[in-house]
Amino acid sequence: MTQAKIGFVVNPIAGMGGKVGLKGTDGVVQQAIELGAQPIAPQRAEETLREFLSYCKTPDKTSWFTCAGAMGSNELKKVGIRITEIIYTPKDKNTLSHDTKNACTKFLEKQVDLIFFCGGDGTARDIFEIIGSKTPMLGIPAGVKMHSGVFGITTSATAKMLHEFVNNTLTIGDAEIMDLDEDRYRRGEWNIRLFGIAKGIVEPTYIQVGKTMFESVSDEEIKDELTEHIVDEMEKHTDHLFLFGSGGTVDYIAKKIGFDTTLLGIDAVYQNKLVGKDLNENGILKLLKKYPQATVIVSPIGAQGFILGRGNLQLSPKVIKTIGVDNVIVVATPSKLAGTPVIRVDTGDKNLDRSFAEKEFILVVVGYRLSKVVKIQTNNF
Amino acid sequence: MKRHPTTFLKEEYEELVSKDFDWKLRVLETGSTPHSVVDGKEVIMLCSNNYLNLSNHPRLIQEAMEAAKKYGAGSGSVRAIAGTMALHMEVEKRLARFKGTEAALIYQTGFAANTGLIPQLAGKGDVIISDELNHGSIIDGVRLTKTDRAIYKHRDMGELEKVLQDADKKYRRILIITDGVFSMDGDIAPMDEIVHLGNKYGAMTYVDDAHGEGVIGPDGRGIGAHFGIEGKIDVEMGTFSKAYGVVGGLIAGSQYLINFAYNKSRTWLLSGSHPPAVAAAQLAAIDVLETEPKHVKRLWDNTTYFKKELTSLGFDTGESETPITPVIVGESSKAKELSNRLFDEGVFALPIVFPMVARDKARIRTMMNAGLTNEDLDFTLDKFEKLGKALKII
Repeated sequence: MTQAKIGFVVNPIAGMGGKVGLKGTDGVVQQAIELGAQPIAPQRAEETLREFLSYCKTPDKTSWFTCAGAMGSNELKKVGIRITEIIYTPKDKNTLSHDTKNACTKFLEKQVDLIFFCGGDGTARDIFEIIGSKTPMLGIPAGVKMHSGVFGITTSATAKMLHEFVNNTLTIGDAEIMDLDEDRYRRGEWNIRLFGIAKGIVEPTYIQVGKTMFESVSDEEIKDELTEHIVDEMEKHTDHLFLFGSGGTVDYIAKKIGFDTTLLGIDAVYQNKLVGKDLNENGILKLLKKYPQATVIVSPIGAQGFILGRGNLQLSPKVIKTIGVDNVIVVATPSKLAGTPVIRVDTGDKNLDRSFAEKEFILVVVGYRLSKVVKIQTNNF
Repeated sequence: MKRHPTTFLKEEYEELVSKDFDWKLRVLETGSTPHSVVDGKEVIMLCSNNYLNLSNHPRLIQEAMEAAKKYGAGSGSVRAIAGTMALHMEVEKRLARFKGTEAALIYQTGFAANTGLIPQLAGKGDVIISDELNHGSIIDGVRLTKTDRAIYKHRDMGELEKVLQDADKKYRRILIITDGVFSMDGDIAPMDEIVHLGNKYGAMTYVDDAHGEGVIGPDGRGIGAHFGIEGKIDVEMGTFSKAYGVVGGLIAGSQYLINFAYNKSRTWLLSGSHPPAVAAAQLAAIDVLETEPKHVKRLWDNTTYFKKELTSLGFDTGESETPITPVIVGESSKAKELSNRLFDEGVFALPIVFPMVARDKARIRTMMNAGLTNEDLDFTLDKFEKLGKALKII
């Protein structure tokens, strides 16, 4: 990419709910302000941009498209980045989710290579609703919640990723968009939902082809290998019910084998036939009564590498206990694993979490007949 | 469909060139000596694996010449048919004695040993457990098998044991494979612990000691001797092409291992055996190691001095425990620039860049040589200091 085109948007109110104990800012910004919340996103955005500039040896040649005022142009001007075009001006000083969405529509018209945003899960969701998987996105973490897989771990890591992206050394891969249902959360219910699979930027997977030469392998090739692995498993255990978890990697595998599964839901296959689609907990338990031997295939979801407890609550403690911890197959592409070096489990059941914690490590399938040892972390142990 | 059969050769080569991924071969106009003439320029050689400078030892040269005169230039056949000479058998006998094992076997190269033997040791229903930083020839050997493969974090015995616990229940055979000395960082696999874990779980142990043979352990007897576990590693694999100063792969272990290996390794069975001059030089190298301890001692004296001085200049030399000393400089472009400028100043050392190592861990890899004098080392350190400051590394 000789001259990347970046669409830059800041959600100026992101994160304001957190400091005043609101667990989010969706729909409660006025209340947050009244409680004395201060904006944090502009400062985070500025820090990240400054660090990005410090990596650029030659003057930054990127084209920057952004929004007026606090939604982007203020931060760019402050750090001295030349703005190519202001594509959107919000009507009101207190910006809302539709402002982010309107900006994204304009970014799509400008055919930007990346949407670079500053916000939290809510902002990521707004962007995703408009761009889907058309354009990759990268987020500066500034929200109250950041479960989605599109954020850099810190502002510093985000700046490095942006620099690598404009220098064409990173590639595009799947990233989950997750969000807590904030209304339910304020009523005391914890529910992280998986909203969809966006495009994020990831480290490519390399294989050695010469003594000191490596070639990057596409995500598709790796996922094809994972598919072959799962096909072998299905042939080995013809008496097992196979449950396909949520997310892009597992969905790719299931579809490649030929099952019409759902991207976000849990689907079941028995002896090469789809016997359940988008199942809830009860649906799964019913199938497990009929087919007591079962294997579940999951993949780390979101930024923190959860395999259970985020985005797939249908795989409840009762379901996993019935299936057995040893019958959980975790698959991931090496690029995905590079971003989530720890596998996390938070089933909500202490005993079940303990049985994962006692394993300490899990073998994650990263290629055909190839697995890698990865540490397991649970919230309670 | 009418297709052009060979257009891809040109296209793929040109693509390599356009990405600057092609090998630009450096040509030596001298032997591989501590001071070599490379592309017309005299340089201090820090890229060669000729750690003990044995390739220039008069005895090796003399024995090679005499063997060629006596037995001819080639061996005439593969080992299995008519290419096994008394000289080959003698090398194997002496090698086993040197390494403290029951028996030994010479392969044509180290690569041929790994890709020939590994696929015979494990198959369907077995598992190979491998350190994440193992050498490419191990990876290729493993790729030729139908086994399951599990990778553990570099030198992490906790992870290795977890995989063994898991594998214990599921597989017929378990094979643990590791490099002995890791070629990018110069650190050493905890072979004593690996053997202990192997015994505990009934797993076979296999070490590729290419950079340890002739270097570590008393008199350079390799990793088994280094940890005092001679004969306890199921397969000790190594090479004659590095510290021994000649060429050829080797394995050492039980007599059953050797009988099994030469009956089953296709690379061994289907390649011509070493010419008499090579075998005679291999034998002379073992002789020299057994009778002239000064070479190994000098290698380590040079290594200790060089590492100490680099560190006191402020360079990061990583976790190295061997004569492979990485000089970690950070970004790939900086490592390349340092390597080029060192060459201009008369020091030949290779840059190792991403993705061979992490993005921020690009380095110059230096390999010490017993033939370098104190003046050579001071000259080299002086260049590192000058360029390290110019490039703001120190």
